[in-house]
Amino acid sequence: MNNSRIKFLNCKIIFYYTGWVIIGIALLMFIPLLTSLVFREWNPVFDFLISIAITTILGFLLILLGGITRDNKSHVQWKHGFIIAALSWMLLTALSAIPYLLSRNTNSILDACFDVMSGFTTTGLVLTQDLDHISLGLNMWRHVLTFVGGQGMVVLALSFLVKETSGAYKIYVGEAKDIGLVPNVKGTARIIWKISMVYLLVGTLALWIDGILIGLKPVSAFFHGLFMFASSWSTGGFAPNSQNIMYYHSFSFEVITIIFFILGSLNFGLHYAIWQGKRKEIAKNIETQSFFITATVASTFAVIALSKIYPNSITVFRRVIYNVLSAHTTTGFSNVYARQFALEWGDFGILIMVIVMLIGGSACSTAGGFKGLRVGVIFKSIVSDVRKLLSSERNVKVYKYHHIKDYVLEDGVVRSSALIIVCYMLTFAIGTAIGTYYGYPMADSAFEAASVTGNVGLSIGITAKAMPAMMKVYYIIAMYLGRLEFLSVFALIGYFIGGVKKLCTKIQK
Amino acid sequence: MHKNSKIISLIIVLINLFLFTLTCNASNIVEINQLIENTITYDNKEVTIQGELIGEALERDKYAWVNINDTTNAIGIWVKQEDIKQVQYYGDYKHKGDIVKVTGTFYRACPEHGGDTDIHCTKIEIVQKGNLVKEKVSHNKVITAAVLILIAILTLLVYFKLTNRPSKKHGNIN
Repeated sequence: MNNSRIKFLNCKIIFYYTGWVIIGIALLMFIPLLTSLVFREWNPVFDFLISIAITTILGFLLILLGGITRDNKSHVQWKHGFIIAALSWMLLTALSAIPYLLSRNTNSILDACFDVMSGFTTTGLVLTQDLDHISLGLNMWRHVLTFVGGQGMVVLALSFLVKETSGAYKIYVGEAKDIGLVPNVKGTARIIWKISMVYLLVGTLALWIDGILIGLKPVSAFFHGLFMFASSWSTGGFAPNSQNIMYYHSFSFEVITIIFFILGSLNFGLHYAIWQGKRKEIAKNIETQSFFITATVASTFAVIALSKIYPNSITVFRRVIYNVLSAHTTTGFSNVYARQFALEWGDFGILIMVIVMLIGGSACSTAGGFKGLRVGVIFKSIVSDVRKLLSSERNVKVYKYHHIKDYVLEDGVVRSSALIIVCYMLTFAIGTAIGTYYGYPMADSAFEAASVTGNVGLSIGITAKAMPAMMKVYYIIAMYLGRLEFLSVFALIGYFIGGVKKLCTKIQK
Repeated sequence: MHKNSKIISLIIVLINLFLFTLTCNASNIVEINQLIENTITYDNKEVTIQGELIGEALERDKYAWVNINDTTNAIGIWVKQEDIKQVQYYGDYKHKGDIVKVTGTFYRACPEHGGDTDIHCTKIEIVQKGNLVKEKVSHNKVITAAVLILIAILTLLVYFKLTNRPSKKHGNIN
């Protein structure tokens, strides 16, 4: 087959699958549409009708353009998988921003895209204005985005909408979820969704009942429960009101969210193993070990440093440990005001938060950051290297780590873990530099950069509608890179650069 | 004439007094963001804030939590339930909440409420009644929605027509 024919088919494969992902998001828009219909919010009803129509038209046009692929699904290659994931995320961000824009709760397209990317990547930073007066429909949309984004929306769409998914594993990996719970990706995606839906029922019920007990009206308590569960489980950090978790003034509500955001930050493989009765996995798994150690160390240091600014142990638990765990699991719920981090916590407190935000939760979970698995692997490789140096040259020992099953600690694994960590650190460093360039203090810039890179969502007060546009753009890119763990985005960039290069060569000839 | 000028002077003095009182009251009101930016200065001090009641009252025994948004930020107010009986509207999508002026003690990290940054209310008064917000949908929005839905249905029909045709097999991409 000649080159132009191959390129033509490559594009068709990408269009076809991207089209189905877009149809998936159009179907999801029916949830906020129905919410607005039930509560007679007429403007949001029309906003969502317009958004559904535009999304459907674009989705089916792409599917039609990629029509031939229907008969060639087995030809999805790794490059297609990565590009479909990265491209879908970009298109979905733009399309999902339409309801925000039509609601006039965002000041610009950029702000709307910022909030959507923040939702999809389960970051939780907000540029939407007047949150206390937004419609229930739009609030539902914000939380649907963060819930679906956490589980992996590309995989969701393809597993449920496309019959033949033999190439879907490559797209699945492209979306930074590379665990195989069962041999086929469709089964794995369905297990992930089954786990999430069971937790959704339990979590919403728990928060609903607690909401009524703390004084919310039953209907309102249901929606608050649903929204706060969606944000906790997906480690998103969105909340229906501008005060975030502070709106509820409730210890019990905070405790329930802690349980669900810690559960959400754990690997889906671990959840599945526990569901199958392998409870010892919790203690043996390198990620839970890593999370337990880093969370304990960070919380201890934070408590020592900050106990002087809080009057008693309960306040220390609620204000310090809650926020450290929220940052570590990359959730982003906060029960102190953004500016209080800067004005009361001091440089050491900020440093602890920056470190835990960058480490993040588990791989193949809803959490962000460079993940406990990679921290564990790097730590084990350092220990094994030191041991090798100290032991006899004739003594050859194989080092292993346990993550659902035992793996040999190979150089390739260590190298790829280190590479991703370096990419995260670079993104963080650039974000910090941009912040300082625009005149924000170094500590504040680092805090906000760590929050966007690790998909956390805590703010120290930089993220605001008045923030320079360049910073908004960079933060969108950082959230996107952090969530897709770089490779898919690099593949998309490479694909475009390759295309441009070939075009230039053709023109020169 | 002399009597008239005396009356005019008295009116001017009264107006000035009224305006002065208003200015004094306004200057006592602190913005919520100002409180957050200066938590240590205001900690345990009596403050007055003014803003819209939002969401709903969270009743706890004889007290309740209400949240107030003054457009710079929002904060929780710990208030006796009997003091908020007069409140008619809390702000949300369909309502503009009552605007209230609250005087009370500000706590940076309230020991009674697990470290909340809050205000324990001693006096609350409704400055302006809230109201139901009437929603208007513009004609342009309705027409745009109708046209786009029509196009979407047409696209869907084209898709089904084309996909129902017998498909052709194509070669591998290698």
